Amino acid sequence: MKYSYINPRKKTIFTRDIQLLFTFFIVTLLMLFSAYSFLVFRDNRFTQEMTDIKLQKDEYRTNIPKMENQIAAIEKQVLLSEKIFTKNIVLRDSINNLFDLVPNRITLSEAKIMENALILYGITPNKDVYNFMLQAPLRSIFHRTYSSFYPADNGWLRFVSTNYIDNEEELSNED
Amino acid sequence: MITNLLKSLYTKVFINIIVENLQTTVYVEVCSKKDVLQSIRRNFETITINPKMYEFIQTYIKESPFCYISVLDKSPLQGAIPTCVTSEMSRYCDIKSSEYRCFSKDWAFYTSEYDLEAIKYEYRTIGVDFIFSPFAMMANFFKDKIDATLSMFVLVEDNYLSFAVFDNSKLLYAEYLDMKHHKDDEELLMESPEEDEIEGINLEEVNLDSDSAVFDDFSDIEELDESDTIDEFAETEVEQIVEKKVDVSHEGFSEDYQRFSLIQSALNTFYKDSKYDSKFIETIYIADGIGVSSDLKSYLEEEMFLSVYVRKIDLSISLCDMAKAEADEI
Repeated sequence: MKYSYINPRKKTIFTRDIQLLFTFFIVTLLMLFSAYSFLVFRDNRFTQEMTDIKLQKDEYRTNIPKMENQIAAIEKQVLLSEKIFTKNIVLRDSINNLFDLVPNRITLSEAKIMENALILYGITPNKDVYNFMLQAPLRSIFHRTYSSFYPADNGWLRFVSTNYIDNEEELSNED
Repeated sequence: MITNLLKSLYTKVFINIIVENLQTTVYVEVCSKKDVLQSIRRNFETITINPKMYEFIQTYIKESPFCYISVLDKSPLQGAIPTCVTSEMSRYCDIKSSEYRCFSKDWAFYTSEYDLEAIKYEYRTIGVDFIFSPFAMMANFFKDKIDATLSMFVLVEDNYLSFAVFDNSKLLYAEYLDMKHHKDDEELLMESPEEDEIEGINLEEVNLDSDSAVFDDFSDIEELDESDTIDEFAETEVEQIVEKKVDVSHEGFSEDYQRFSLIQSALNTFYKDSKYDSKFIETIYIADGIGVSSDLKSYLEEEMFLSVYVRKIDLSISLCDMAKAEADEI
């Protein structure tokens, strides 16, 4: 049946009020959704960070013994270096002392420093100079001192002085 | 689907506007699915839309987005034609400047495009959804009789008559009669002496004298009055008319006479105009939308020897029913 001369105006449930209401709801929903999304994102990120931190923590935990070992090794090295440094200082001082010990009239041509021994090669004008000016201090330092001479071309004497420091254990054994 | 679902949640509001001689009747029905929740009728002392009427209508427009406003067409240039073929329409009216709708494949009703625009413009503040022809309303109202009889059908409105002749649902003739338009002629007629007046109305115009075969059908008017078909309406409509007879004023009397003359002249045109397939009419069915007096019935019975049946019609409710039917189809 179509008896009307004109067609009716288009009817819609979306009146201005409804449109406003829908807009309000849509905006509210969007805001809620964006807030929810943000929270989900933050939560995921937090979980991710937590997992990363856990992994890092585990890694650190596994690394701790290694690092402790390394630290121990380094500490040992430090101790060793300190020891060496001390020894070097001692050695330097000993060499200084040794060269201080050598009088001006005696000339050293070679010196061999060993752990418990010192071998000196040189030229002395005579035995007395050597005995009084060099051997006497050496004797006071080393436990055993041996000297041998042989003449040089210019009339002076070449000498070889072999000096030993005995270990305390050896000494006690000897005792 | 969702729209239909949401649509069912809303009530439908049908606002029906009937413009009468000096007032406008606005009938509002608020419907939920098939139930009528509320029906209000209010008359406004205006024939255009005034602030009071606008305010009244607006309150109901706001009630639901599914609000349909219907107006009954009062264009003097409207009518109905016994064809629904566009090429044949121009024989009966100026179809170029008219808007038409086919009621069935046999006939159509039309109106002036200009008047439709005028109605739309008049109600532009509230908008109009449906504009119905009184012929469509009359055809719906007398559907049972139109389909089965050869009769005249008249829809009586304030100042207007929709006149149609149907032969078993086939339209033979139709005319929209404007009482105002014919008023001058009728006034002249009323001023003439009573005797002349009666003679003027007499069978000369109906031109029944010349057709003796047809005249035989009128041989026993009393029999016609006593027939079963008349009894169908006799108890209801006639009684109402008799009740109102007491209040008939001189104006009412002259208006009914005017209506009678218009019907008579329209029937004459139908008989005389070769364009129309004229057949002798014995019966007239009147849809009384305003409450005519029994005078009209007596004129028609006594002067034209017609079997007259009067049915009361509530124009607003009929208009509303048509709007409902249209809205259901959307």
